Amino acid sequence: MIEFDNVSKQYSRDAYALRDVSLSIPDGELIFLAGASGAGKSTLLKMIAGIEKPSSGRVIVNGQDISKLKAGSLPYLRRKLGLILQDQKLLSDRHVLANVMLPLIVTGASASEAESRARIALDKVGLPDKAQAMPMELSGGEQQRVAIARAIVNRPKIILADEPTAFLDRDNANKVLSALKIFQSAGVTCVISSHDEQFLDQASRVIYLRHGQVADSWQAAVAA
Amino acid sequence: MTIWLREHLFAIKSALTHLRAAPGNFLFNVLVVAIALALPIAGLTLIENIRPVSAQLSIEPEISIFLTPDTQRSSATALSIPIKKLLKDQNISAKLSFTPKEKALAAMQDASSIAEVLSTLGGNPLPDAYVLSLSNQDTDKLEKLVEQLRTLPDVDVVQVDSAWVKRLAALVQIFQMGLLFMAITLGVVVVVVVFNATRLQVISHQAEISVTRLLGATNTFIHRPYYYTGAFLGILAGAIALGVIAASLQPLNQAIAEFAKLYASEFRLLPLGLLPSLALLGASVCLGLIGAYLSVRRQLARAS
Repeated sequence: MIEFDNVSKQYSRDAYALRDVSLSIPDGELIFLAGASGAGKSTLLKMIAGIEKPSSGRVIVNGQDISKLKAGSLPYLRRKLGLILQDQKLLSDRHVLANVMLPLIVTGASASEAESRARIALDKVGLPDKAQAMPMELSGGEQQRVAIARAIVNRPKIILADEPTAFLDRDNANKVLSALKIFQSAGVTCVISSHDEQFLDQASRVIYLRHGQVADSWQAAVAA
Repeated sequence: MTIWLREHLFAIKSALTHLRAAPGNFLFNVLVVAIALALPIAGLTLIENIRPVSAQLSIEPEISIFLTPDTQRSSATALSIPIKKLLKDQNISAKLSFTPKEKALAAMQDASSIAEVLSTLGGNPLPDAYVLSLSNQDTDKLEKLVEQLRTLPDVDVVQVDSAWVKRLAALVQIFQMGLLFMAITLGVVVVVVVFNATRLQVISHQAEISVTRLLGATNTFIHRPYYYTGAFLGILAGAIALGVIAASLQPLNQAIAEFAKLYASEFRLLPLGLLPSLALLGASVCLGLIGAYLSVRRQLARAS
């Protein structure tokens, strides 16, 4: 469960990224955060991951108030999240398998265990044969699927995806969303930000942000 | 295998990967640190070799009282009475010993380099002598005592023997102080070099650091490879510095041996023993760690 309780994020006197946002995301939902660039989608995702802290209000993730978390506790929260970023942030000097193994390595998993789980994750996103490839050798869609494999390898309860379909053609974007929907069906909460409205019908719920505020929220027709 | 050990092995592997990625930079830094460490190590080697020599020499003041060569033995031995009276008058506690000229000659003949010279003289040119060994507490009364000893009958020369030994001891002490100052200064230089090398490494790995942080890596996990890099740099530079100093003693000893032979001595410079060498390696590792620690803390605190 993710809860936002009157959350505001203010960078300067008149610059609000979020303003009095209150929302609740139950477990196992596929949520789309929609809205134009600068609406506050990325800030909202960053707050769930503890990358940004609210100026006021409370953000509760899995029962933990993010704003009260000490810096030393943040890594342990992030280990329960799967993060997919717009630019993937794959390490270019390591092959795909090493990139996917990384979330397990930081938790102290053995290399053999990390490798076998990373191979399973790559298999789930349809890239079993790309384990030894370097990220630069992959297409944009494949890189994004590697990022998904890296996000799920830790078996997270929540996946946060910031514009995962940006810069992808429709075919690759559909592959990425299909992969995310598989995890949602397995009980994982997926929160996806996108300004691309053509995929909104694939969500169980859409939260529309405008100027840092929740302008609208509705259950998507397909999911319903 | 415990998680702790696995994390350290991963950190060592990461550190070695970082080094392999830019071996030139690492070796250059090792060289700079090795040069900085070599100077105090050379000074320490010198002190460790000189210290036993200076320790063997007495630095308690000694006064040699040489009598005129034609002094009768009875007069010579009787001189101990006015000498003891002088000591008593000035409240000086000293050990007085008489060295007859025959004994002095025998001692000199034992020194092989002078024996040949003595044999050409025919007779015994040495006078009877007294040696006064004073305690260090009485050094301020030395000058007055010497003056009074010179006024005694049959006394030819009064010589204070300990001045040069004291000067040597003082010089060794000054050298030690200078070495300590140099070691501290160059220790700071080592820390600065490692600090800067680590800073550049952290900057070049900024992307990797931010990704691992997002994936749930703790600060310790992120910092650890850089600590190992600093330690590797320190131990490698320390080993090179110790090796270079030990190797340079060989040609130096050849020159020293020629010089020492003139004084019938077998003095030669020895490399530092195992324990001091290990202690120096430990110190260079610590300096590397301190530089890396300060740098990583500062850079990553800024980044976050």
